[in-house]
Amino acid sequence: MAIILVALFLFQAAYLLVAMLAMGLQEDISGEQNQNETDPKQIEEKWHADSKALKNSSRESISSLFAEWKRTYPAASMFWVDEMGNLMEQRDVKGNLPAQWTPAYTAKFIKERYGGDPFTVISFIGGDEKNGFIVLEIPRNLFLPPLVKAAEKYGIFLGAGLLLIITLFIIVSFLFFRGIRKRLLHLQEAMERRDMDSLPIGIDVQKNDEIGQLEKTFNEMVDELKESKQREQEEEQLRRELIANLSHDLRTPLTKINAHTYSIGKEDISPEGKQAVKALKTSIVNIDRLIENLMSYTLLMASKHKQELIELDEVRFVRENMASWYPVFEKEGFEVNIELEPLEKKWKADPMWLGRIFDNILQNVLRHAKDGLYLEVATLSSEEWDAIVFIDHGKGLKNSSNERGAGIGLSIVDMMVKGMNLEWDIESGDSGTVIKIIRKH
Amino acid sequence: MARILYIEDESDIGSWLKNDLGERGHEVIWLQSGEGMEGYFSEADIAILDVMLPGLDGFSLGKRIKKVKNDMPVLMLSARTAVEDKLEGLSFADDYLTKPFQPDELAARIEVLLRRFQKNDQVLDLHHLQVHTKDLRIIDREADNEIQLTGKQYQLFQFFIRHLNQILTKEQLYEGVWGEQYMEGDKTLMVHIRYLREKLEKNPSRPEIIETIRGIGYRVKI
Repeated sequence: MAIILVALFLFQAAYLLVAMLAMGLQEDISGEQNQNETDPKQIEEKWHADSKALKNSSRESISSLFAEWKRTYPAASMFWVDEMGNLMEQRDVKGNLPAQWTPAYTAKFIKERYGGDPFTVISFIGGDEKNGFIVLEIPRNLFLPPLVKAAEKYGIFLGAGLLLIITLFIIVSFLFFRGIRKRLLHLQEAMERRDMDSLPIGIDVQKNDEIGQLEKTFNEMVDELKESKQREQEEEQLRRELIANLSHDLRTPLTKINAHTYSIGKEDISPEGKQAVKALKTSIVNIDRLIENLMSYTLLMASKHKQELIELDEVRFVRENMASWYPVFEKEGFEVNIELEPLEKKWKADPMWLGRIFDNILQNVLRHAKDGLYLEVATLSSEEWDAIVFIDHGKGLKNSSNERGAGIGLSIVDMMVKGMNLEWDIESGDSGTVIKIIRKH
Repeated sequence: MARILYIEDESDIGSWLKNDLGERGHEVIWLQSGEGMEGYFSEADIAILDVMLPGLDGFSLGKRIKKVKNDMPVLMLSARTAVEDKLEGLSFADDYLTKPFQPDELAARIEVLLRRFQKNDQVLDLHHLQVHTKDLRIIDREADNEIQLTGKQYQLFQFFIRHLNQILTKEQLYEGVWGEQYMEGDKTLMVHIRYLREKLEKNPSRPEIIETIRGIGYRVKI
């Protein structure tokens, strides 16, 4: 705060100082001579009057006149030429004056001095040209305004003072702006720092000035952000729990139905009864999968599905996944063909998500491509991309007679693939479906 | 065959599973909450726990079991299917199965766990071989002699027996038996499989016991 005040008032203070200095000098100079003594007209008149007042042109009277004037005007010079043109007396005259003044020289002298410097007054003694004349010379600068004179007299000090003030101003400004810049940079740096939750970290406020207040406001914002993040996390948690509980509550009765169906299946029942039990079992599996998909879909839609991308050996991942899926296809009588070639680069993906993508695609194959009884899982790679390919020989997705809800499975695949910055491609025709999960380099 | 400590509050599911597992030859101790479960620790071979239970939940019970009796396999059987739940369960439990489930699958998983923890001595019939799971004695029934395996062959075969019916990838086998990261192109595993087949198979060029699953790995199936 203080530094701002200094900066704000420094210029004004400098002006004031210069003005005061100038005023002081003016008074100082004015004190040396009163106004009358510096007016050329008055001087001229007084010189004429004094000259006229001289009764005779004796050396004493003229000398005393000269002495008197010299007291008043120390800078003045004077001389006397008598009626014969002889230079009788001179005082402080610069340059050489001729001892004998001819009318021609006198005329030249007058012409030269008219309006020139020094200011020259020529006056006849006693007002009569027969008595000779006396001349007064005063340097013109004596008549200049006091400020100009002050400038001439103290110019160097004034200049130095002004320079000092300007230098001082520049230094103070530099210090001021450097201080501000430093603190602003510090503030910017602090604003860019992030903690574990990728939220900014509060700043240690040291001063209570404007920047300090800015820092305080920033801290308040950080607190608000943290609160809102926490609220969001709590809501997220609540949402997850709600969905998890809902799913649990749906699955519990489904498990009971499953248990009873299983018990009935073991009884000695008619072929129709057996058919019904089989249908029930299939429906239970389907409902189970639908609940699972619905849960994932809801979480994905709200971007609340946990994701953790890691470097993944894709071929190994595919092999391990297929190891657990193989028996299912084997049981259904599928011919399973796995063609895995090592890929050059590792994939960046969430194994849980990728596993889910696999499950959804393979469940689809199991349900839609039973006619083809063929599954091929392979890796493909080119200069621009790597891909995992799933090929079946079913009748294609369009011709599938199964429930429409199955679409949700592929919607999840779509969201998860895109969520991991991968791409996918699906080609489905009458003779089969090809799905590619693509990772561009 | 095994004594199973089963904690499930839903009486429909509980009684059904108790019967089913009983029919499969297991002895089931079914409790509707974790209260008093400590009394059965000494006699139980394996614990099957539901998660949503009155009082302490299944996760807490499972952790308590593992703390008191670390060598008892714990299988979580829950209708909670969220990844977070599975991860929490598998942080201490040995398996996690979601409801609704097929009793055959549950029975198979119980078998795997019992074998892994070597809780019971099973005699497996693998084609012409008879395998005692606890000490891994292998008898050729046709030739009526015992087959002796070397150290690595023994470990490899044991790994197959512990993961019976599972397809094991090259990486899983190598890392499980050798305890080192598998490097693509390493022939060590293939060589040992060949030796093992030469000892076990009737016709090593057409193996029946250690199946090759093309593109994935190997499997020993009964």
